[in-house]
Order: sequence, then C-alpha cells, then structure tokens
Amino acid sequence: MSLLTVFQSWFSPLGHFWSYAIAYFLEAVVGLILAALSLIIMIYLFRKYMARLQRRIGPNRVGKYGLLQLIADAMKLMGKEVIFPARRDDLPYRVAPLLVIFGLFAAFFIIPYGNIPYFGSLTISHSDVTVILLFAFMAIMPIGEVLAGISSKNKYSLTGAMRAVAKDISFEVPMMLSIIAVVLMSSARTANALNLQSIITSQVIPYGILEPLGIFVFFVATVARASHTPFDLGESESELVSGFSTEYTGLRFGLFYMGLFGSIFLGSLILSVFYLGGYHGPFAGSIGWVWLMVRAFILVLIFFTVWLAMPRIRIDKFMDLGWKYLLPISFINLVISGVLTLGFGW
Amino acid sequence: MDSSGWTELNIGPQHPSTHGVLRLKVKLDGEIIKDVEPVIGYLHRNAEKLCEMSYYCDNLIYFDRLDYVASMIMESGFLEAAEKVLDIEVPERAKWIRVIMSELSRIASHLVWAGAFGLDLGMLTPFFYCFIQREKILNIFTEVCGSRQQTNYMSIGGVYQDLQEETITHIWEFLKQFPEKLEEIYKLFIKNDIFFSRTKDIGYLPKDVAIDYGVTGPMLRASGVPYDVRKDEPYLTYDKVNFDVPVSQKGDVLARFVVRFEEMRQSARIVKQALEKLPDGPYFNPKGKKSLMIRVRGNGEAYSRVESSKGELGTYIVADGSVRPYRVRIRSPTFKNLSVLPVLAKDTMIADLVSISGSIDLVFGEVDR
Repeated sequence: MSLLTVFQSWFSPLGHFWSYAIAYFLEAVVGLILAALSLIIMIYLFRKYMARLQRRIGPNRVGKYGLLQLIADAMKLMGKEVIFPARRDDLPYRVAPLLVIFGLFAAFFIIPYGNIPYFGSLTISHSDVTVILLFAFMAIMPIGEVLAGISSKNKYSLTGAMRAVAKDISFEVPMMLSIIAVVLMSSARTANALNLQSIITSQVIPYGILEPLGIFVFFVATVARASHTPFDLGESESELVSGFSTEYTGLRFGLFYMGLFGSIFLGSLILSVFYLGGYHGPFAGSIGWVWLMVRAFILVLIFFTVWLAMPRIRIDKFMDLGWKYLLPISFINLVISGVLTLGFGW
Repeated sequence: MDSSGWTELNIGPQHPSTHGVLRLKVKLDGEIIKDVEPVIGYLHRNAEKLCEMSYYCDNLIYFDRLDYVASMIMESGFLEAAEKVLDIEVPERAKWIRVIMSELSRIASHLVWAGAFGLDLGMLTPFFYCFIQREKILNIFTEVCGSRQQTNYMSIGGVYQDLQEETITHIWEFLKQFPEKLEEIYKLFIKNDIFFSRTKDIGYLPKDVAIDYGVTGPMLRASGVPYDVRKDEPYLTYDKVNFDVPVSQKGDVLARFVVRFEEMRQSARIVKQALEKLPDGPYFNPKGKKSLMIRVRGNGEAYSRVESSKGELGTYIVADGSVRPYRVRIRSPTFKNLSVLPVLAKDTMIADLVSISGSIDLVFGEVDR
C-alpha cells in the first residue's frame, strides 16, 4: 500500500487513466504541502536556535512564541517594491529563482519518506532509478544561481556566479563519488541498487558506520550545496553584497532564500537516507516517516551549528579543499567500499 | 594606469563590510585586486569649522561624534588641548574618572570592532557576545551621564557629574565577569581553523611602511613598534597605573586581532587600578562650572595627543582670547591608518580586502570629520 494506490482506489470508478491522473496530482499536492510545512518549521527552528546560540530571544512578537513570524515575513516580501535592473537579460533573470525552487521541490518528491498509518508508504516517485533522478534534479539548482548571476548584469552578481560555478564543480565530483560508493555497497544486497527505497531496505548496518569517510565527504558537500557559511561563496554577503542574488528584490529574493533553507533540509534528508538508515526504527511500518524526520532535523541542527560558528572560507582555499582533500578521500572511500562489497561480501 | 582588461568595481559607499561610507575603487583581475583607491568624504560634516563657530564647552559634542564608538576618549582628547589654552587645572578625582571612562570606552570600541570583524569574515555569532558585554559598558555610561553613545560626559575643568558609589559597584561587577567572557569571545575566534586561514599572513604591514604612513594605535603595535601615547607621553594619570603595551612582531591581520584583545585585558587592568586609587575631592574646577562655562577665554595655542582606541588622536587648538577657539585641527588616527590600505590590499583577493579593511577598525565619523 502506498499513498498513490490509496488515492487511486478512491477514484477507481473514473477508470484507469483518470483515477491515476488524479491520484498522481493529489500525491504531488500532498508532497508539496509536506515539503513547505517542513521548510516553515525549519526556518522557525533556525531562528530560535540561532537566537539561543547568540544569547537572544528570537522572534516572539507575531503569534504565540513568534510562530507566525515567517508568514509576516512572506507578506513583507510580497509587499515590497519589485525593482528590475535596467540592463537585465530578461528571460533568464525571471526564470532563475523559479529554477532553483523547481529543482528543490522536484528533488523533494524523490525522497522515500517512509510509512504513515492508513496511507502506507509516503513515497511519491516509483521509478527504479531514483538515485539518478534525485541528483539530476539537484543539479538544476546551480543552473538557477549561475543564470541569476549572469543575467543581472552586475559585477557583484557576475563574480558571485563565477564563484558559484567554481564551487559547484569542486564539490560535486567528490559528492558523486561518495554516492557511487553507497550504490556499490547496496548493489551487493539488492537488485535495484539505484532505487532509494532499496538502498534504505539494504541498510542493515547504516552505511554511515561502514563508510565514515563517505559520510564526511557527503556532509561537507551538502554544506557546499546549500551554500551557507563557511561555503557561501556565491552569496558571501560581506564581500559581494549578496552575490548572484544582489539584484533580486521582493518575492524573487525570497525564493533564493527558500532555496537555501530547502537545500539544507534536502541535504539532511538525503544524508539520512543514504547513510543513516532513512526511516528505519521501531514501528517503522506505521511511523517510519517520523524516524526520517527525527534524523533529518537532528542533522539540520548540526548544519545550523556549522553555519553559525564558522567564518567564510576563501575561494582558493575551498578549491584546495575540494580537489586536494575531498577528492582523494572519496576515492579511498570508494576503494574501501569495493573491498567491503566484494572481498568480504558483507 | 592602463585599466583595459581589468574589471573596475566600486565597493561601497553602501556595502555590508565598509563600516559606514567608505568607497573603494577596486581594479580586479578576476578575483585578484590590482589596485585599490579609497574614496572618502561621504560623512564629512565640517567638524573642525563647526568647532571654530561655537563655545569651548559646546565643542565637546562635535568630538563625541568623531569616533562615535569611543566618544569618551575623543572628549578627553579635546579637553587635553582645550584646558591648556584655557589654563584650567583639572582636579585629581576628575582625572581618574576620565581614565576610567576612557578605558571603558576603549573596551567598548574594541568589542564593536571584534564583532564587526567577525561579521566581515562571515561569523554571525561572536557579534552578539561582543555586544552583550558592550551593552554593560553602555549601561554604566547611561548611569554617569544619561546617554549611551554620544556621552558628552566630560566638561571643561572636570566631568559633568560625580561618579556615584552605585556606579562604582556596577563597574566592579562588570570587571568581575569581564575577563572570563572576553576569553570566551576570544576562543570563539581563535579556535577556528578557517579564521586562522583568513587572517594569518594576510595584509602584512612591515614596520617601516607603517611608520612611513603614520599608522598608529593597535595597527602600529601589531607591526612591532611599541608606541603608545599612554606610555610614551603620559597624560591624565596614566603614569600612575601599571599596564603593559601589547606588541606583536607579525604585522598581519591576526596580529592586529590579538593585540586588540590583549589591549582589552590591559584596559580592564587599568580600570581596576583606577577604581582602587580613585581619590575623594572635587570632580570639577570651579573655574569651569556651569554658569561660567561659556565665558571661559583661551589664549595661545596647544597640541595634545591621546591614545584613542584607533590610534593617536591629536588635537590642535589656536585661541585668540575670545570665547571661541580660532582654529581647531584634528589629527584623525583612522584617516592615517586607512591610507595604508592600498599597500596592504594589493595583489590579494576580494575576501582578503574585506579582512584587511576590517582589521583597520574604520569609524567614518572620524575619517571624514
């Protein structure tokens, strides 16, 4: 049983085609609502956590405990005057923030969320190659950032976009290599090694324990993907004003901001799916979803701590980190997991 | 210089890390800086001319607004010169109070610098830890004079109000918890590898270049010159207190950081001793009392130097026997320190430029005057 089949059974009198069409649509809506809800919870959590770390109180004016602060902020962003740079490249300028958000939410649909009571599995995509799909969708987000930087025709934005490209290339290679190691490991236990669901079910021992190097590389790469401090090289507020998003105002700027938080949450979800056993836990058959969220939110807090404690790394030092440290480490990790898979047949 | 093939970038005057209204015309080759030209004057308020147009006692408010994060030191700098031309003695207790306030002001100023420097490097958290401590100092200022930043506390011939017993206990309370908290802030920075990589060997300022450019204050001491006006030419009662002048031979951004933190520790030491030695007696000279304040007349000319949190603040006053100074000239330390930025930032990256300009401790009220 999964969400899709439950929805389809509700609409089965409409015939095969229409029932599936409506079921997929409803499933997408549910997925969007869940993703947006977790983002809202996460941003609230971020503000409160940041305030605690910085000996402040945090938002407490709008709503009880400041719970409605985010809605107030969204309203503020919508009410702001939208200023377009005069010499912009119009289409890329408008499309760029949408690309970021599209890549983000599309990736959210791929994650296997585990089970909830009555509906069963919350997994939305049922493809056999969800690993490839997931990283394909994630690869859309940098395109949005680069387009934003180039199309604003601003020197700060251009420098930010240049940095973003350099950053993306240097961390995505080690990231992919560490994912290949995970796929290699799971291929020994399951036929569908490229399916996230079977990667989770094959994790009797979480891969994070078997591949400590892999989880390290992926963690660093996730910070870089989300591009918050220490790796917020594309934006780097104190150097490039706001990097590629300098010329964006109002809701479009808000979308980039949401992309940042969304990437952190997405990164923690992926990290827990690949390395920490996903939705495994007691009573996973009915509340597996909760276990995934617990893992993800603990990781989110770790990411926030890194964000708030670290200064920004310099771009050349980051390239060094990517090519001279992360890449060799991920190769070693690949060899280790190969040995584990073939040599010991674990 | 031929600028074809280079990107010319205007950093500022509105920019998150230019600390006010500094504008840097930067020539970039990719991310490498080939040339920096600081453009100043966006906060010019004619402070020197305004000083000529108002009474001696009124001039204090313009000095408050020079270096608005360390206004007490600015006031004492002006009064050092003004009291010479006005020929007014300062009672012992007032001198000690001025020392206490100057040193508290120095701590507050360095804390602002440390927090803002963290923000420049992308660290969000230390800023708040610094400002919690600064807030305690500002509360003390509020107690003594009623305002937080533009204090206008000192007056000709003394201070505006006496230091109450209650305030003294508050200062003691502050000093009791301060060293521990300062270490905490220090560790937030220094125990971070990325912070090291962003500051170590960046913006190296050799000793002779520093002297050539007239750099003073923590920047000069970080380059290995043990010059501190408080030690070399003591004013107020600095010759009666025990303190060390921190000097580093390294000359990079990290050295400036370490020197400033050590200065805060020394300032706390000075305040402690000053509180112990604070004598009883009048807190102002009757010649400068409120009803006579605007009638004091000065003669001759005088130059005074004090050690502000940024460097050596010089005040030159020419008096012509009237109730207003004939000419006031301010030697601003930050202005001189800023002039060395193009030398430091040449052939570095944008990230280093931010780190270097942060380490200068710019306050634009003072650079532009």
